[in-house]
Amino acid sequence: AATQDITYVRKTTLRRTAEHRVAQSQKLKDALLELGRKHQVDILFEESTLADIYVQPEDRSTDKGLEKKLEQLLFPNGLTYRKMSKSAYLIWKKSAEAESWAIPRSTSATTQNKLVFEQVTPLQRLQSPGAVDRELTGKITDEKNEGLPGVSVLIKGTNKGAISDQNGVYSISLPDQPTILVFSFIGYLSKELTVTSQSLLNVQLVPSINNLSEVMVVGYGTQRKGDITGSIGSISARNIREIQVTNFENALQGQIAGVQVQEPSGEPGAATTIRVRGLGSVSAGNEPLYVIDGFPATKNMDPGIQGDITRRTTAFALPASNPLGTINPNDIESIEVLKDASAAAIYGSRGSNGVILITTKKGKLNTKPVVGFDAYFGVQSVAKKVNLMNSEQLTAYVKDSKNNAYLQDVPGANVNDDNATRYTKTTNGSYFIPDDYANPDGTDTDWQDLIFNTAPVQSYNASVSGGSEFVNYYFSGGYFNQKGIIDRSGFERYSFRINLEAQPVKRLKIGLGLSPSFTNTDRSPAGAPYFADPPGIVYSALVTSPTVKPYLPDGSINQTDNQSHLFTETGRGANMTASSNPLAIIKYVTDDLKQFRTFGNVYAEYEMLDGLTYKLYTGIDVNSYNRSFYMARAFLNRAATVGDPYAQSNASLNYNWLTENTLSYTKTIGQVHHISAVVGYTAQKDRLDANQVYAQNHPDDLSPTISGGQVTSGGDNRQEWSLVSALARVNYSFRDKYLLTATIRSDRSSRFGAGNKTGTFPSVSAGWRVSEESFMKGVTAVSDLKFRGSWGQTGNFLIPNYAAIGLLSTYNYIFNNVLTNGIAPSSISNENLTWEKTTQVDLGLDFGLFRERIYISADWYRKLTSDLLLNVQVPAAVGFSTALQNIGEVENKGFELTISSRNLVGAFGWTTDFNFSVNKNEVLKLGPTGDPILSSGGAGIRHITAIGSPIGSYFGYVVEGIYQSQAEVDAAPKDALAPAARAGDFKFKDVNGDGKIDAADRTVIGNYQPDFMWGITNRFRFKGVDLSVFFQGVEGSKILNLTRRHLGNGEAATNSYADWTERWISAENPGNGKIPRADRLSDLHSGNNRPSTFQVEDGSYFRLRSISLGYTFPKTLLGTRFQSLRAYASGTNLFTSTKYIGYNPEVNNQAGLTGVQGEDYGAYPLSRNITFGLNVTF
Amino acid sequence: LLSCSEDFTNLNPVSQRNVNGFYQTAGDMNTAINAAYKVLQMNGTYNQSYWIMHEMRTDNTDQGPDGTGLGAELTVIDNFSEISTSEIITAAYTDSYLGIARSNIVLSRIDAIPMDQAMKDRIKGEALFLRSLFFYNLAVSFGHIPMPLTEPKSADEGRALPQVPAAEIYRQISADLVQAEAFLPIKHAAAADLGRATKGAAAALLGKVYLTAGDKSSAATVLKRIVETYGYSLMPDYATIWGLANKNNRESIFEVQYRGGGTGTGNGFTNAFSPLLRQTTGAYKNRPTVNMMNAYEPGDDRFLKSMDTSYVNSQGTLLTNSANNVRFITKFGKENTFNENDASYNFMVLRYADVLLMLAEALGESDAAYGYINQVRARAKLAPISAATPGTFADKLLRERRVELAFENHRWADLLRFGKATEVMQAQGKTARLLYLIPQRELDINSSYKQN
Repeated sequence: AATQDITYVRKTTLRRTAEHRVAQSQKLKDALLELGRKHQVDILFEESTLADIYVQPEDRSTDKGLEKKLEQLLFPNGLTYRKMSKSAYLIWKKSAEAESWAIPRSTSATTQNKLVFEQVTPLQRLQSPGAVDRELTGKITDEKNEGLPGVSVLIKGTNKGAISDQNGVYSISLPDQPTILVFSFIGYLSKELTVTSQSLLNVQLVPSINNLSEVMVVGYGTQRKGDITGSIGSISARNIREIQVTNFENALQGQIAGVQVQEPSGEPGAATTIRVRGLGSVSAGNEPLYVIDGFPATKNMDPGIQGDITRRTTAFALPASNPLGTINPNDIESIEVLKDASAAAIYGSRGSNGVILITTKKGKLNTKPVVGFDAYFGVQSVAKKVNLMNSEQLTAYVKDSKNNAYLQDVPGANVNDDNATRYTKTTNGSYFIPDDYANPDGTDTDWQDLIFNTAPVQSYNASVSGGSEFVNYYFSGGYFNQKGIIDRSGFERYSFRINLEAQPVKRLKIGLGLSPSFTNTDRSPAGAPYFADPPGIVYSALVTSPTVKPYLPDGSINQTDNQSHLFTETGRGANMTASSNPLAIIKYVTDDLKQFRTFGNVYAEYEMLDGLTYKLYTGIDVNSYNRSFYMARAFLNRAATVGDPYAQSNASLNYNWLTENTLSYTKTIGQVHHISAVVGYTAQKDRLDANQVYAQNHPDDLSPTISGGQVTSGGDNRQEWSLVSALARVNYSFRDKYLLTATIRSDRSSRFGAGNKTGTFPSVSAGWRVSEESFMKGVTAVSDLKFRGSWGQTGNFLIPNYAAIGLLSTYNYIFNNVLTNGIAPSSISNENLTWEKTTQVDLGLDFGLFRERIYISADWYRKLTSDLLLNVQVPAAVGFSTALQNIGEVENKGFELTISSRNLVGAFGWTTDFNFSVNKNEVLKLGPTGDPILSSGGAGIRHITAIGSPIGSYFGYVVEGIYQSQAEVDAAPKDALAPAARAGDFKFKDVNGDGKIDAADRTVIGNYQPDFMWGITNRFRFKGVDLSVFFQGVEGSKILNLTRRHLGNGEAATNSYADWTERWISAENPGNGKIPRADRLSDLHSGNNRPSTFQVEDGSYFRLRSISLGYTFPKTLLGTRFQSLRAYASGTNLFTSTKYIGYNPEVNNQAGLTGVQGEDYGAYPLSRNITFGLNVTF
Repeated sequence: LLSCSEDFTNLNPVSQRNVNGFYQTAGDMNTAINAAYKVLQMNGTYNQSYWIMHEMRTDNTDQGPDGTGLGAELTVIDNFSEISTSEIITAAYTDSYLGIARSNIVLSRIDAIPMDQAMKDRIKGEALFLRSLFFYNLAVSFGHIPMPLTEPKSADEGRALPQVPAAEIYRQISADLVQAEAFLPIKHAAAADLGRATKGAAAALLGKVYLTAGDKSSAATVLKRIVETYGYSLMPDYATIWGLANKNNRESIFEVQYRGGGTGTGNGFTNAFSPLLRQTTGAYKNRPTVNMMNAYEPGDDRFLKSMDTSYVNSQGTLLTNSANNVRFITKFGKENTFNENDASYNFMVLRYADVLLMLAEALGESDAAYGYINQVRARAKLAPISAATPGTFADKLLRERRVELAFENHRWADLLRFGKATEVMQAQGKTARLLYLIPQRELDINSSYKQN
C-alpha cells in the first residue's frame, strides 16, 4: 500500500504526555516530540523520514532557540525543516541535488511505512479498508490558490494517509469503494470529502477562523490567543489589503466591536478619530495609545506642532493632518486593540483610552526571497452633494423673507412695493430686495459642481522579504498619491521600511526596525466656515448665491462682479451675507504641510537561562513638520475690494526616545502548571521644538512666502515630557483550563502636579476554558468555550505638559507709541493635578462551534473614570474663565459582540464576520457643586456636560411645533427671544413649566455618541475569484448642524438647503410641517434661529463601506516568473443611507475637543472611490 | 534609581515663563501692570463691547445695516432684546474682570517687593486706577456684581464672592481713586511712560464716580482741582483731538493706546465703523442715527468733524455714500490705511472737555456752570448759552455732552446718571432695560447670583 507514515504532533497533547526520559542515544522522533512540547509548537514529519535516525542527547540538551536546535538535529541527517506558521514546523528530507524543498513522491510510494496519527480527541477507529486498488492524486491549495505543503490526507476511520508535498500535491492509494478523506492542516479548517471513482481531486483549504494557538501581540510580549483573558480585538494584513485606505486607522473602521473609527473630514491626509469603548474624558484626550513595533507613540495633534493658522480661531481650524499618516498600511502585519483594563493596564497611565498595537511585517528564517509588488489606481468623486436651492427657488425665498419682515415691521408696507417705494418708508436694508433677485438675469450656478472634481489616487508598494538560517529581513518602499476631490488638496507619501533580525551567536537575537517616511499634504482650506480667515471653500460654495457668475467674461475668477445679490439696484446695502468666490479660495490660498517621520528601534534579546530572556529595547521617534501658508494679495475676502495678503511659516521637530529593559520567563511545571512572566523598567522622554513666523502686507504675489511680505510676529514653543515606569505581568495556567493574568505598572510622569507625580495601575483577570473540561469532551459541537473576567485600573495622561504650573504669557501694550512688555498669568497653578483614573470591569465569553465554523465572542464592560480632568468654568471675577481640575466621574457601559462564521467551505466559499457594539456614556459627578459645564463650539454655547447625560451633549431649546395662527402665539407662554412671533414661527417648549420661555428652558437635546454601531463583512470565493462586501453602520448618533444657522435659518441672507422650499407659507399652505416661515428678521421677531432641536439632526447611517472583487490567476497561466498574481477592482463608500442633510454623518468639526463633539460647520466631504489594482509576487 | 527618576520627571516649562520665579523685582511689577493696561485694548472692553453697550445701545447710533450672524448680536443689544448668553456682553464682563484680576495681582504682591518707593507708588496708583475704571464700567452696565480686591489663591475663591450693589462699588473705587490720585504723578517724567495713568486720570474718573454716586460737592472739589492745578486745556480745533498725529494731546486725560502692525495692539474701529460700500471692507456698525445728526445745532463745528458721508479706502479712492442721512463715525479715522482690524488710532476715555462739562454738572445751574459749558461751545464755534436759553439746565447740559462727547462711549452712562434713559429710548420707540443681564455663565456657576 502506497501510504506514508506521518506523525502529527500537537503540543496540547504533548503537554499532557509523560515526560520522556533522556536516553543515552535517542530516537530523532522522540527528540522532536520533546522539542515540540518544550517550545509549544507543532512539529510534523513522516515517520519514514526519521526511521532509524538516532541522535546524541547532548545535541539537544544545550540551550538554543528552537530553530537552532532543529538545525542541529536535522541538518547532519540530511533533513531540514520549514516553518509553516508561527507555531508549526514541517520536517523534510533535504534533496540531494539541490537546496530545493521537495519530497519525491516516488519515495513514499515505494516505501512501506506505517502511518501514525495522534489526535487530541482520537478519531473513531474503524476497521482498515480492504485491498488498495486505485490511486488518487490532486493538489491542495490555500485561500490564495497557492499550493499548501504538509497537509495530512487521511482516509477517515483509518490511520492510513498521505501528506502533500512542497507544491501541495498529494498522492494516495484508496480502496475501491466510496471513501471519506479528511484533509487537515494547522491553521486551516479540516475538510471531509467523499471519493468515489475519480482519480484527481483538487482541494482548497480555508484558514481556520480562530486559531487558538495563533500568537497575539499583547504588549511587552505575545500570548496564545486561547490563553488570553483580556479583551483584545485584532485585524490582519488581509483586512487592510481588502480596502484601499490612506491610513491604517481607516482599515479598522467597522471591523472591531467597541472600536469607533470616524472620518470627520474627507480631506486627503486628515486625521481619523478612534475611540475605544466610548469617551472617558472631557478635557484630556480620548485618543488611544499607539504602540508601533513596541514603541509607544502618542498621536499628538497639538495645533502648535503642525502650525495652525493663527488668524483662524481654534473653532475654525482645519482638522489635524494625521500624525501617523506616515505609516504605510501595506507594511502592517497585524493590528491589535487592547480594550479592557487587563490588556491595557500594562501601559498604566496611558491605557485608559485603549491601546492600539501595530506590528509590521518581518521576514521568515529559511525562506527564499519573496518579491511583492502591489499597485492600484483609482478615481474619486464626491460621495454626496448637498441639496441646495437653485436660482429660482432662492429668489422666491429671498423675496418671501424680505417681504415677511417688511410687512411685519414697516407701517403702510405693501408686498408689491418696489425698492424705490420701500426706501421712502425705511432705511433698513433688511427690507430691500437685492438686485439679483429683483432683476434676475438667468444665472444659475451650481457651486458644488464647480468645486468638486473627480480625482485620481494611486499607490505602489514593493517589498522583498525572506531569510537565511540566521537572518531574516523585510524591506519595503511605497509611494502613495491621493489628489483631493477639491483642487489643490492632496496627500502624498513616500515610505520605506527595513525590519531585520539576526541570531549572530547562540541565545542572542538582535533586531533593527527603521521606517523613514515623508508626506506632503496640500491643505486647501476646505473645511471652515465661510467667514473664517481664510474662508472655507466648501462652506463658501454652499452659501454663495447661485445667481452669482463664477467667472468674468474674460475667463478669470469672478471676485468683483459678485455682489449684486448683496445690494439693491441703486447700490444700497440689502443686508445680505457676503462670501468669497470658492474658486478664488482654491486658487489663491496655498497651505502646504510636509512631514518627515522616522520610527527606529534596535533590540537585543539574550536567553540567559532556559526560559529566562533579557531584552533591551531602545527606540526613537523623530517627527518633523514644515508648514507654509500664503493667502494671496489677489484674493478678495468676502466683500473686500483689496487683498489682505499674509503668510505663515511653521517648523517643528518632535523627538521622543525610549529605553526598555525587560526580563521574561516561561516555565512549565509538572506538565500542568504553565507560568510566564515579564518585568520591566522603562524611561521615555519627549521634546518638542516648534517655531512660527508670520508676515503680511505683501506688495504682490511674486514671492508667496514669508520673505515676500513684512515679518510682523513670530514665536516658539518648546516643551518636554518624561515618564519613568516599572511594570510586571504574570500569566498562569493550570491544565490549559484555568487561566490567570495579573499586571501592574507604576508610572512617574512630568505632567502631573508636584503632589501627585506617581501612579500605580494594577489589573487581574481570569479565564476558564470550559471546553477543556472532561465533561465537555462529549459535546463535539462545542470546539471552544471560555469565560473571561477582568478588573483593572488605567490612567489617562493626555493633559498638557505644564498644566499643573501656572503659566505666564505676554500681553504687550503700547506706551509712547512703542510696544512695551506686559506679562500676566494665562493659567492658574494646580499642584494636585493628576491623571484620570479608569477602573474597568470586563466579563467575556468566547464560544467556538462546529470546529470553529462559528466563533462568537461577547463582552460586557463597565468603565468608570474618576478624577476626571475638567476645565472647570470658574467665576470671571478670578480673572480666568476656566481652571483645570481633577473633578468628576464618567461611566461607559457597553456590550460587544463578534461573530465569525464560515458559512460555506466547499468549492464555493462564503464567510461572514459581524461585529456589534453598544456603549452608553453618562456623567456621574462634576465639579465641586455638580454644576454642568457649558461649552462653546463653533457658534457660542451649544454643548453641556451635565450629570446624568453623555459628555458634551447638545444644549438648547426644544421646538414643539409651528404656530399655525396668531391665536396660538397669543396663548403660548411668553418667549423672551420671540418678542414678535407670528404664525409660521417655531413654538418653543417651556421645559421647566414656569409659564415663560427663557434661558432656563434650554435643555439636553441630543448627543453625538451612537447608541450602537456594527459592521459586517461577507467574503465569497469561487475558484480564483474572491469577493468581499463590507457594510458598516452607526445608529442613534446626532449631529449639531451649525450650517443650519445660515443655510436654513429663514433669513435667506445666503443660499439655503432646498428643504426650505417646503417652508410654512400660511395656515393653508403649511409646508412639510417642520420648516417655519421665511423672515429676514427672525432674530428680532421669533428667535427661530436660536440653538434648538431644529439644528440637531439624526446622524445614523449605514454604508457600503467597501466592495472588492478580485481574481487570482491560476499558476498554470503564470509560468515560472510569477509566484502569484491577483487583479482586483474595488469600491469604497459606494453607498450611504442616512437622513442627515449634510455631506457626512461622521462630521465632527473639532474632533479633538470632547466637550463640543458632533458639530458640522462646513467640512470636507467624503469621496467615493473606485480602484483597480494588482498584487504580484515573484 | 528613584532619585534619578525624580530629576528625570521634574520638568519646568522651556519656552514659557511660569509663576515660580516671577513677581520678584520692580521690573517684574512694571511688566505685570502693563499686562493690566493691555486689557483696555481687548474686544471685551474698549475695542468692541464697550462701544456696543455704552454707545450703540443709545439713541446716538444703531447697529447698521448688517443684521445677520454677528450683526444680529448687535441688533438685539440695540433693541434691548439681547439674552443673557450674549457673547458681547459676556466678553465685557469677563474681560473687565480680567483687568481687575491683573490689577489685583499687582496690588497683592507689590508691598512685599523691595523697590524704589516712588516706583512702587506709581505702579500701585496705576493698578488702583485701572481696577476702578473696570469696576466703574461693570457697575454702570450690570449694577450688582462681585467685588474681588485681592489676587485669588485658587479658582474656587471666586465662588465665595457675593454680588454687591453698585453703590458699594462706587464707595470702594472712590476711596481707591483718592489713593491713586495721591500716588500718581501729574505727568510722567519719562517720555516712555506716556499713556500711563496720571493724577488727572484718577481725578477725572473720581469726579465721574462721585457724580454717578450722587455726591456732587465731592465731585466739584476734585474736578475743580483738575481744572486749576493739572494743566489741561482744550485743543483749539475739535478735529485735532483725535488722529494719529494728536495722540495724548493737552486735552487728553486718559486714552487707550493702540498701535497697529501685526503685534496684536491695533484696534478694529476703522473696520467696524467705516461704511459697507461696494468697494470697501467696512462693517458700518455703530452708525449715527438721524436723531443724533439732528441733535447738532446749525453751525456746530463738531458735526462734520465727528461723522461724514465719504471715506477714503486704502487705495486712496474717495468713496461717497449717496444715500440721504447716512453717515458714519470719523473720529477714528476716515482713511483705512491699516490692515484689517489693526488700526493705530487711540480711543479717548477721559478728556478735559468732559471734565468741564462734569464740573458744570457738579456745580448745578449757575453762571460758573454755564461758563464751563460755554468754554466747550466756544471751541465748537457756537454762541454761549445761559439760564435764559430755553430748556432745563439738565437738558441743555445733556445735549451738550451728547454732541461734544459723541461716539466716545459716554452716552449710556450719561442717560442713566441724568435719569433720562427710559424717556430718551422711549422716544426712539424702545423700552429701555437699565441694567444689562448678568452673563448666564456666571449664574450657571454660582446659583446664589441674582439676574438683573
